[in-house]
Amino acid sequence: MAQSPGVVARPAGAQRRSPRHKARGAGQDLIGYLLVLPFLAFFVVFQAYPVVYGVYVSLHHWNPIVGNGGWVGFRNYALLLFDHSALFSQQFWQGMLNTVLFVFISVPFLLLIPFVVAYTIYRSPAKGLFRSLYFFPATLSATAVTSIWSWLLQTQGGEVNTILGAHIPWLVEQPWAWISIDLVTVWWTLGFNMVILYAGMTQISTTLFDAAAIDGAGSFAMTWNITLPQLRRVIAFVVIISTIASFNLFAQPYLMTQGGPGFSTSPITMFIYGVGFNSFHMGTATAMAMLMAVILAAIAFAQYRFVRGGEVS
Amino acid sequence: MKWDKIGRWQRALLLAIGAFLMYFPILWMLSTALKPQALAFNGALVPAPASLNNFRAILGPTSYEPTFRWLGNSLLVSVTASCLIVAVDSLAAYALARLRFRGRRFLFGVVLASLTVPFVAVLIPLYLEMSGFNMLNTYYALILPYAANGFGVFLLYQFYLGIPLEVEEAAIMDGANRLRVWAHIFVPLGVAPMVTLGMVTFMNVYNDFLWPLVATSSVQMRTMTVGIALMAIGQYATNYPLLMALTFCSVLPILVAFIFAQRRLVEGIAFSGLTM
Repeated sequence: MAQSPGVVARPAGAQRRSPRHKARGAGQDLIGYLLVLPFLAFFVVFQAYPVVYGVYVSLHHWNPIVGNGGWVGFRNYALLLFDHSALFSQQFWQGMLNTVLFVFISVPFLLLIPFVVAYTIYRSPAKGLFRSLYFFPATLSATAVTSIWSWLLQTQGGEVNTILGAHIPWLVEQPWAWISIDLVTVWWTLGFNMVILYAGMTQISTTLFDAAAIDGAGSFAMTWNITLPQLRRVIAFVVIISTIASFNLFAQPYLMTQGGPGFSTSPITMFIYGVGFNSFHMGTATAMAMLMAVILAAIAFAQYRFVRGGEVS
Repeated sequence: MKWDKIGRWQRALLLAIGAFLMYFPILWMLSTALKPQALAFNGALVPAPASLNNFRAILGPTSYEPTFRWLGNSLLVSVTASCLIVAVDSLAAYALARLRFRGRRFLFGVVLASLTVPFVAVLIPLYLEMSGFNMLNTYYALILPYAANGFGVFLLYQFYLGIPLEVEEAAIMDGANRLRVWAHIFVPLGVAPMVTLGMVTFMNVYNDFLWPLVATSSVQMRTMTVGIALMAIGQYATNYPLLMALTFCSVLPILVAFIFAQRRLVEGIAFSGLTM
């Protein structure tokens, strides 16, 4: 016997080894490592090493053609954070502001609309059909989505303006450029969040609703007092992954607005790409990416703590 | 019931109207792809006359872009990456769920840590690393980096925990080694979650944009997403019927995969929300 049945219910490694296991431990060690080795090798080579190497690159002057151009310490970081006269610093801050702006205008819709759709599907016939229908656009590529919408949102002859009988400069003027990116992103990814929220709703015991119905609770009271509290963890998960996804915004502005008008829809990811692959300052670009990752991790961690803290009280 | 103020069928009607609005852009793509260029701006949803000339233009021998090559690249890369990930992650998940070896908790932490790194953070170092391996602009660069994601390990690990121990005990008593137990018991029992993982991976890799954008440089090595974005959008800025035909071709494999395995795909997405 390799394990006692109790292990199954416990988290990995939570249980102490019994003497019997120690006796066969050496054999299990070796075969365990061998089985994990392929994954571990990929992880080390393509994820752990690039992170460490990224820190190293960010402390150097680095040109993709010439290579390592010498140690500069934290100067790349100091330049980005504090030297507001430097172009890269201005780009970094503008990119961060644009990204944060997008997070604020996208995440509420990416929670609210999928929630309403999921809740409607949850209480309608043909659940499976509607779930699939609303999910499908989330399986399309950024290229497909942006090429379709760029065509629909043309100022001259675009179908959206034709239907509205308007002449709105969707992709070329503010605030329309942000509205377009937001609209397209919500259209594209709402099915993804809907599926997660829907799955959460199916986990809620129907006896809760039945009991509340007997007590005479209305539809709104049901949503507020049962659905939302029961979905707390799932909603938190959706908010966190939507924040992370919105923070990584790249393809929609890159392909639809080219970051414009001006640089008003250029997120930090576009500046990282531009500074690294067009201006060839890879040390500075990697420093930008590291700062972005740290800020994103801090935000996600704060959201996570906020949710967990709320559970205790 | 009392709390159902709006009837079930009224909800279904609302959802149907919403779905029509939501699918309008996709119908519009299809409609435009079937129109001759002269009628692209005529504003009609039904193309009359409809023709396949746009598809002939992008798939034919005189096509401006190597559509079949891009499509082949995308399929080769995404199918290979999916198979690779399913195999690698399944082995690791089996070991983590069933074997008790020193450092297992640490390795499990590694799996979870691999989920938290945003890709942009490793974009440039990964590019420089692949450049050092002389792998840029090859299939290796387009496939291998995807295998470092722990999502699949986590998904299969959760599933393997639920397989009763008795199932494998008999085999171990009979002297089967661990690799045989994995291959003859865990793989067949875990076909459903493996298909789920394969589908999610296929979709992610097929649709990826940023990595194939920097990892490839020649027209012949582009994937469908990058090829269309870089060449066709510029080239066809005024010829939307050709661009929409090309876009439709890029969507087709995903559509087919979706039709055959959408339940598995939806389950994979739902899983992440319920367990993480």
